[in-house]
Amino acid sequence: MATKKVISPKKIRIAALLAVMGPGMIAGLSDDDPAGITTYSVLGADYGYQLLWVLAASTIALIVLHDLGARIGVVTRQGMIGLIRQKYGARAGVLSAGALIIANIGTMTAEFAGIAAAGQLFGLSKFLSVPIAAFAVSFLVLRNSFAKVEKVFFLISAGFVAYVIAGFMAGPDWGAAAKGVLIPTIPFTQEAIFIATATIGTTLAPWGLAFIQSYAVDKRLTKDDLKLLRVDVWTGSLLTGIIGFFVVVTCAATLHKEGIHINDAADAAKALEPLAGTMAKELFAIGLIGAALLAASILPLSTAYSVSDLTGRPSALDDSPKEAPLFYATFGIITGLSALLILLPGAPLITILVVTQVINAVLLLPLLIYMFGISRDKKLMGEFVATRTMKTIYAIIIAVVGVAIACMLWFILIG
Amino acid sequence: MKKPPVTSINTVAKRLVGRSELVLQRKNIRESLVSVAGLIGRPVRYQGGKEIGRLVDVVVRHGEDSYPPVSGLIVKVGQSKSFIDGARIAKLTQSEIQLSSAKVDLTEFIRREGESLLDADVLDHQIVDVNGLRVVRSSDLYLAPLDREIRVVGVDISFKAFIRRIFPGALGRGPIPEHVIDWANVASLAHGTGVVRSTESRAALGQLRPADLADLIEDLAGRERSALIEMLDPDLAADALEEMEDDELQGLLRGLSAERSAELISRMEPDEGAEVLRDLDDDHRESILLEMDTSVAKQLRKLVEFDETLAGGIMTSHMLITRESDTVASALKLLVENRERDISDGVVVVDSKGKLMDHIQIIELIAAKPNVTLSTLMGPPYPTAVHINTRLDEVIDEFANNRGSSIIVVDEKNKPVGRILADDLVDALASISETSGFAQGSGAL
Repeated sequence: MATKKVISPKKIRIAALLAVMGPGMIAGLSDDDPAGITTYSVLGADYGYQLLWVLAASTIALIVLHDLGARIGVVTRQGMIGLIRQKYGARAGVLSAGALIIANIGTMTAEFAGIAAAGQLFGLSKFLSVPIAAFAVSFLVLRNSFAKVEKVFFLISAGFVAYVIAGFMAGPDWGAAAKGVLIPTIPFTQEAIFIATATIGTTLAPWGLAFIQSYAVDKRLTKDDLKLLRVDVWTGSLLTGIIGFFVVVTCAATLHKEGIHINDAADAAKALEPLAGTMAKELFAIGLIGAALLAASILPLSTAYSVSDLTGRPSALDDSPKEAPLFYATFGIITGLSALLILLPGAPLITILVVTQVINAVLLLPLLIYMFGISRDKKLMGEFVATRTMKTIYAIIIAVVGVAIACMLWFILIG
Repeated sequence: MKKPPVTSINTVAKRLVGRSELVLQRKNIRESLVSVAGLIGRPVRYQGGKEIGRLVDVVVRHGEDSYPPVSGLIVKVGQSKSFIDGARIAKLTQSEIQLSSAKVDLTEFIRREGESLLDADVLDHQIVDVNGLRVVRSSDLYLAPLDREIRVVGVDISFKAFIRRIFPGALGRGPIPEHVIDWANVASLAHGTGVVRSTESRAALGQLRPADLADLIEDLAGRERSALIEMLDPDLAADALEEMEDDELQGLLRGLSAERSAELISRMEPDEGAEVLRDLDDDHRESILLEMDTSVAKQLRKLVEFDETLAGGIMTSHMLITRESDTVASALKLLVENRERDISDGVVVVDSKGKLMDHIQIIELIAAKPNVTLSTLMGPPYPTAVHINTRLDEVIDEFANNRGSSIIVVDEKNKPVGRILADDLVDALASISETSGFAQGSGAL
């Protein structure tokens, strides 16, 4: 006679946690995209361990805002753009979605640039690596169920371990690193303030905020899952910060010590080779590919959720393309257009990247203010409406981010 | 981009709603549509043309009418918002609203039962397209004079109407009549105290399959979702709830009143209802059980206490019990009376002490003479019976050995307390494989 398998309560709890895991991890880690890795590399190469506290501060902001985004998604069962349309009107909705679409195409182009750069480190032409990546992410999302897509996301994220290994191999000064995390000092130069604000900007991406909310809706999480979801968000955001920490530390221990200046993450990988051994270069390149692939899957998905949400059309990974044509069309167009931009000879890449950075920065503030408004709306949030303490924390974070954005825009546009 | 299948929705709508005439088909109505989105912010004037203020919102009253009439306006006068009674409206056009007098009382707006605000509660909110079977957002709403009142007659869910609204001036206000869906065909689930109901949309919802309805409910947000449940026929809602995922259902019940939850759960199959209650926390379960009919509550309480891995935990307590001295005619009558619960494929026969004797199939009853007693029909094969504390795997073995479609569950005194049907077993197995599936997943990650 068959005996029934006994499942211990502890196992059930872990299983329940794993079933909820996803939004926080994926949205968080996808913020460590090639642009992020580049920023962290430059931060470490130019300022050593000194500015690690900026990373710590952005991680805290990431935890708080992703926690809010995920909660709004679960409680209202609507994406951010749909809620903005509902609460702030048609114009606010269209403007936010429009800015998000343009910024996302730009950011997606940057992700493909990361894939191209990492591919070249392995001697792979961008005319090969970029189309392969574009097809791979489209195939993944188009042909698979939600559960399967999510598993692949987790698998890609494993690539980030490479940065942690590289960090240990570089043999950093842990004491100096700890001091850099805990004691906030900054040289008052334009470059230092710019890289500090860029770090905040690259960690808190508008598409990430839109994504975590829509993804929590698509995952059909319920209010019961909120406690476990908080574990997911905290873990994801902390890991995001920790990976950034290792990138900074690697560059601080090697490039900064030798006084080498770099321009991007691929530069960093190349420069690491003579300093930390051949494997460091490969590890950095693998990490970069993982980072780019994850973000390149999330960005078009985030855009597709937002566009469908704005128009009130179906948008679930488990819907078929026939049921949700707009959702899948948006995904395809964003991916195709960005791949084309990166492959087109003579496309003004630098301009695209700068414009993208500006739009992302400008968009972030109104999005945060809308989220703040939604979090205080009793009608939408019910019993989960923000408490006075939470409101104060949100307000402080929004104010700090606002100042950072203003500084950043000043540097990009005027400075 | 695919255009929303508005025409097809209307065609289906006509078939489903059929009986009543859709007012949007009237030419004079189609030509006098006023867009609500375009109207917000336009001036409201006294008779004679003096401006009182700008329109903030339009208040409608829901009743038995398919097309809710405008009961008032909310107007911004200076810095404050005032309410103007709908009866004062003399002329309502796309560019302005004119009142019938040169002086009106401006009062503070207090929402009354059954009222909702078109801009704040309905526009851009999720509505249920009952014929397209989906949740959509309303892009615009349309007013038109009908039966001596100004009423909401249509809703637009098209992207075109939505985009139109972001344009400034008159360009952003003109209705596009070909995209307007008749109000009678949608179920709008407004926030606040007023729930939008229309009898036609209710009827159309009634034609959905419970599984589709469950999907629809799962797609909706909190308040809208509760509103949909409130508006459904309780039996239909109970059927839909049975189709829902467990954790979705838990979340849903938290948003409903204990009274409504009790109503719905008591209409579910007893074993399904017990399963729902078992997963709730003690206080919540108790509050729901207190709202129920005492006999139903008693029965459910008993079921809730059973362990889900034992026969008593998966059985349904619903069965038809007859005495061996009863006649075939009375057994058949009992079956007919309970036909709505459609799980009775026969009757359980007990002796004078209530102990299990036999289970007689409906086909045997039909073949027998109506005036004979049931005892004459008793005989082998006897039904399979298990004790309430029989473990699930043994129940499965019993099923496999006997190839029957159901087995009877008895207590210590051999009195029948419930039945396990093949589908109860499938449900129980499915929920177990789900749990162990998670455990396996944890190994893989």
